[in-house]
Order: sequence, then C-alpha cells, then structure tokens
Amino acid sequence: MTATMGTPQDTGPLVRGTVPAAGGGQPARPRRSRPLITYGRWWWALPAILAVLLIHYVATAGGALYAFTNWTGIGDFDWVGLDNFRRILDDPALIGSLENTLFLAFGFLIATNVVGLLLALALNRTLRTRYLLRVLFFMPVVLSPLAVSYIWKFIFDFNGPLNDVLAWFGAAPKTWLADPTLALWAVLVVMAWQTTGMVMVIYLAGLATVPAEIEEAAALDGASTWRRFRYITLPSIRPSLAIASTLMLIQGLRVFDQVMALTGGGPAGATETLATQVYKETFALSNFGFGAALALLLTLIMLVFSVLQQAATRDRS
Amino acid sequence: MTQHRSRGIRRIGVLVAVPALSALTLAACGGGDDGGSGGSGGSGAADGFSFAFENASGGQENPWQLLADQYAEETGVEIETQGLPPDSYGLSMRTQLQGGSAPDVMMFSPGAGNSNAVLPLAEAGYIEALGEESASLVPAGNESLFEIDGEVYAQPTSIIPVGMAWNSAAASDGGVDVPADESAMLDACGTLAGEGKSFLAVAGSAPPNMGLMAMAISATRVYAETPDWNEQRAAGDVSFADSEGWQATLQTVVDMNEAGCFQQGAAGGGFDAITQGLTQGTSLAAFVPGAAATELANASPGLNLQVQPFPPADGGDPFMLASPNYALSINASAEDGAKEAAREFLAWMAEPENAARFVELQGGVAITGPDENLSPVYEPVADLLESGDYAPLPNLTWPNPGVYDALSTGVQGLLAGQGDIASVLESIDQAWDQ
Repeated sequence: MTATMGTPQDTGPLVRGTVPAAGGGQPARPRRSRPLITYGRWWWALPAILAVLLIHYVATAGGALYAFTNWTGIGDFDWVGLDNFRRILDDPALIGSLENTLFLAFGFLIATNVVGLLLALALNRTLRTRYLLRVLFFMPVVLSPLAVSYIWKFIFDFNGPLNDVLAWFGAAPKTWLADPTLALWAVLVVMAWQTTGMVMVIYLAGLATVPAEIEEAAALDGASTWRRFRYITLPSIRPSLAIASTLMLIQGLRVFDQVMALTGGGPAGATETLATQVYKETFALSNFGFGAALALLLTLIMLVFSVLQQAATRDRS
Repeated sequence: MTQHRSRGIRRIGVLVAVPALSALTLAACGGGDDGGSGGSGGSGAADGFSFAFENASGGQENPWQLLADQYAEETGVEIETQGLPPDSYGLSMRTQLQGGSAPDVMMFSPGAGNSNAVLPLAEAGYIEALGEESASLVPAGNESLFEIDGEVYAQPTSIIPVGMAWNSAAASDGGVDVPADESAMLDACGTLAGEGKSFLAVAGSAPPNMGLMAMAISATRVYAETPDWNEQRAAGDVSFADSEGWQATLQTVVDMNEAGCFQQGAAGGGFDAITQGLTQGTSLAAFVPGAAATELANASPGLNLQVQPFPPADGGDPFMLASPNYALSINASAEDGAKEAAREFLAWMAEPENAARFVELQGGVAITGPDENLSPVYEPVADLLESGDYAPLPNLTWPNPGVYDALSTGVQGLLAGQGDIASVLESIDQAWDQ
C-alpha cells in the first residue's frame, strides 16, 4: 500500500504541479502544461550530442571508409571495394587470428565468470577473513595489464620460476610462450588471472541483494545447496550475470595488451588476434586500408556477439 | 516577462559561448604551427633546424645526438633534437609529415622495405631531393635504395656490416674455431651442446632477429651467386618458393635447430638471451648488426667481439651483408631557412673528418669503404669489405615491410616447429605481391 502512495522523498507530484492547494481539499488544477520545476531542456544537451556524434560516430564512420581503400598511410589511395574483406577471408593467418580471438573471448568469458562466481559465493557471508580475501583477489584488477603481463612473461620464461617448479617434480622444462599449443592457453591464464577479481565484485554486489531469509526458509524446507543456488541465488543475480558476461565477452574480443606483451602474436602468428592484427597491419606494415577492414570486422563481430549475449541473458520474466 | 525573457537569452548565450570559447581556445592552442616552419620544433629559422632520429635507449649517448651536439658547438647553429623509440619511429614520422609538423632533418632507412623507409615518403612528395654531394656518397650498387628517377632523397652515413658477432674468448674456451663451412659449424654445434653451451644465441620470440638470421644466411646461399636476385624477383623472373638458394637458407635454419646450434629454450628467448649468452660466454655468436656488436663490446669491458661472416654452404666462398642502413633526409615542407641550415648540416656530415667521427660513434664502417680507421671489430671481414664481397641487406630493397615480416615470422615458426619451408617461402611471395 505504502509503495503505491509514494515515498516521502517522492517529489513527483510537486514537479508535475499536482500538489494540493494550501487549505483546500481538492488538487489545484494545473494552470499550464509546463511543470513548476524544470531540470532542463533537451536542446541543452545539443553541444554534447554533437560532440559525441562528431568524435565517436562520424570519426568512426570516416575511418571505416578506409576499409574499402588500399591506403598505405601516406599518399593517395584507390577504392578497392570489398577486396580487403576478400583478402581477410582468403588468408589462413587471418582466419587463425579470428579463431584465436573467439577462443580467447569465450575462454575468458567462461573462466572469469565461473571462477569469479565461485569466489563470490565463497566470500559472500560466512568466512571471517572474507574482507581480506576479497581485497587480495581484487588487487590484480587495479594493476596495469602490461605490467602484469611482463611479470607473467618472467614466470613463463624458459629459465623462469614455473619451469623451476616443474623441475622439482622431475618434469621437463617447457617453452610456454613459444610453444604453438601452449602459448594461447598461457595468454588466457594471464587474462583470467587479472580480471577474475572484477567479476567476483560484480557477483558479490548481486549476492548482496539475495535475501538471506528466503535462503534460510528454503534450507529449512530441505532444499539442497545446489537447489538453493539454482532456484534462489541464480535467478536473483541474473542482472549481475548479464553485466559480467557482457563486459567479459567484449573485453575478451578486444584483447590486445596481454598478447603484445607476452608473445607479440607469436610464435609465427599462433597467438595473433584480430586486435593485434589490426595494429600490425595498420601501424607496423603500413596497410591502413587493410587494417581498417580488419577493425571494421572486429567491430561487427563484437556487436553481433554482444547482441546475442544480451538476448541470452535477458530476464524473460 | 521581459526580465524572464532576458534571463533566457542570457542562458542561451552562456550555452553557446562556453563551447565556442572552448573551441577557440583549442584552436589557439593547436594553431601554433601556422607561423612556424614545417619542422616540429619551431626552430626553423635560418640559424637552426629540428632533427629526428631513432634512440633506442633514450639517453644522451646516442651517436646522432652526439653528432648534433658537436655540430651545434662548432657552428653555433641551434638544433632541436627529437630521439624517438625505434618501434614507433616510422609511424611518428609519417604522421608528422602528413600533419605538417615533421622535423626539418630526419633519419630514415634506405629503400622501401622497412616501416621507416624513405622511398615511399619521397614518392609521396614529403622529402626534399638532395644535391650531388649527397649522391656522391651513395655506394655503387646501392643507388636504387636512395634514388627515384635519378634524384637522391637520402644521404647515407655509414656502412653497417651484418654477420655473426663472435665471442673469441668463449670460442677459445670451448675449443672451437670459426667454422669454414656448414658441416664444420654443425659439428661444432654438437660439441658445444654437449658442454651445455651453444654456438649461437638467438631471440626466437623476436621476429626481427629471426629475419636477420635468415638474411645473414642468405648472403652465401642466395646473393653471393645472384647479387641481383631482388631485381629478378621484382621483375617476376624468380620467386622465393622456387629459389634453391632460399630453400637452402631455411633448410640451414632447420638443420641448425636440429643440431642444437641454438641455446636451450631458443624459441622463447628475447634479446636479453643474446646479451647474456655473449657476455657470459655461454654462447659463441649471435646475429646482430655490426654497430650493435660494437656497442655491446664497449658496454662490457673485457668482452672481445668481432664480426665474422656466416659459414657458407659446403664448398662455398665467404660472403656477407653490408649496407648503409641509415640515411638522412630533409623535409620538403621545411621553411627555406631551415632547409638551408639542414643542407649545411648534411654537407658538414659528408666531410671526411666528421663522417669518420660519426662512424666511430656509431660503430660502423666509413661510407667510402674500410680505411685506416676500421674498427678492430671488423678486422675478420676487412678483406670481404675491401674486395666488395658483400651485398646490401636484402629487405632494404624489398617492396614493402610485409615481406620481411613474412620471412621473420616464418623462420620463427620453423624454430617453434610450425609450418614447413615451402609454406614459409610461399607466404613471403604472397607478401611481396601485395
């Protein structure tokens, strides 16, 4: 009932000009359609809207036009139609980059969300040291991805600590970042290690909204831990799941820093992603037109997967 | 009502004025170049110019910086220097040239095969043609790296030999002499591997080092017999995939890998593996430019490094790579005064004593060839240099940076067990034809 009457802080009636007249029982008839208090006009935002349009959308669209040229970054260029896109599809190395991008994006999405959710559940209520542990798990998030990657590069080095540990167990040392099969996994580990703390915090925020009473009631009714998670906790944290999975998918699709710092895309392109290929083609090899085509493709892929992911995690209730 | 309306007008005025003022302020901040020279530094007056060059360490001991300091001290000309990291240097210069804010004098790589190459910029009209004095310094056979339609666009400064930087003391300790041919080298690799050492230290994780290794090997397998191989490839008469010389070059890399010629974990090694291997004596040699060998030797007292040619195939003769890898150019849109000052600087650079000073600072060989000032680092290759048994770095002549990238990453893959020789050579051909 109270909810339908409005909260004490509800200023809606005042703003809308429907406050009862002093001393009278009948609400005053609005004298004009304009509210008594106004917070602004839509056109006040015009400069900002124009700036956003110019800086974000017009500039991006202008850059995208180069995807249909053979511009080398200097001098004139010719329009080449869809040649750059055909070249992308014909080049096994670039298809490999696309596969690597998708592998890292979905591996990152799954790893960060599974581990982040497990950490959040573990550190939600009962543990006495949970606040300290939350800080420890979150700490890598605030570090620079490049700095973290260089530390891990040292760890993965042939003469580094990881191989030293393996040597204690009698295992042969490995060239973690130079092995075509291991290097991509190594990049994924570093990405997930640094970002899981962020996902944990998102889930902790979601778990804070789950009423303990309902969980206790379900427990008293004999619901198992898994059923309580499946039918109470998980539906309650659906918004957190949508946010965390969207952010991680986008971050995974545009991975760049970790790849550049750890492997530089090597060995022989085994860890190249679309983002590193965009950089390499555009800035290292001066193929600006081709790089723009790659960037446009990456943008479209991110857009499609983001929309699909939003649809998958939408609250259908 | 009037008061209300005037308040509204005032609000609109404020809303319009704030962004307009901001735009004007930004325009004022960004418009400083209009009145200056084409150079970035604003020292484009007749008595000064700006000068950009690669500076890997960022320090003041850079040879270009030292030379600029000396010129400023001798002549009183003001030089605004701009030392930039090598990996972003080419891109920075392209951006600045197109934006009209490039320095008056710039260091470039000759040819068109690098990201910091001069010829694509000259073709686009950003580089000033130089005179006879600069043209006279271009070594015979290297004209195509500096000229377009008979006009010279860059002045070479020194010759940098490329072979193996050889640690003589470590070789003596390991009981190994400089191998005369490939078989002797592979034997030495096996001997050294048994002692926990390696014949070569390579940076397998750094594609440029892999590319340099392949080019150094190609000197004897490709360019000794066919010095104009690049011209033939440009004409479409030959291809990497069909070239026996390039096949032999990459086969040598595979054979060396299998014979244990490289240090353990070579595929993941960085440039630190090279410096550590050479300075600690755990590796006998490395593929580095001669200037880097000189710098490394100077930085490590007691370390005796010399440049040796890579062993030829069995029955072959020694041959090596050496070319002017750096050159100076003038910004075509620099102000007349700055251009004149830049030309005077280049003329000063060409004077024998100043050229010799730069060669000493940079650790190269005089652009006119080996002379009495030849660094002891190059003593083992002095005969080859004097007799002209060397070819320019192949990638300088290649048509785009993608060719060298394909070679570098392909060799990296061979070291890591990816791909095969045929597919690597095909990918290089594809990059050439782009």
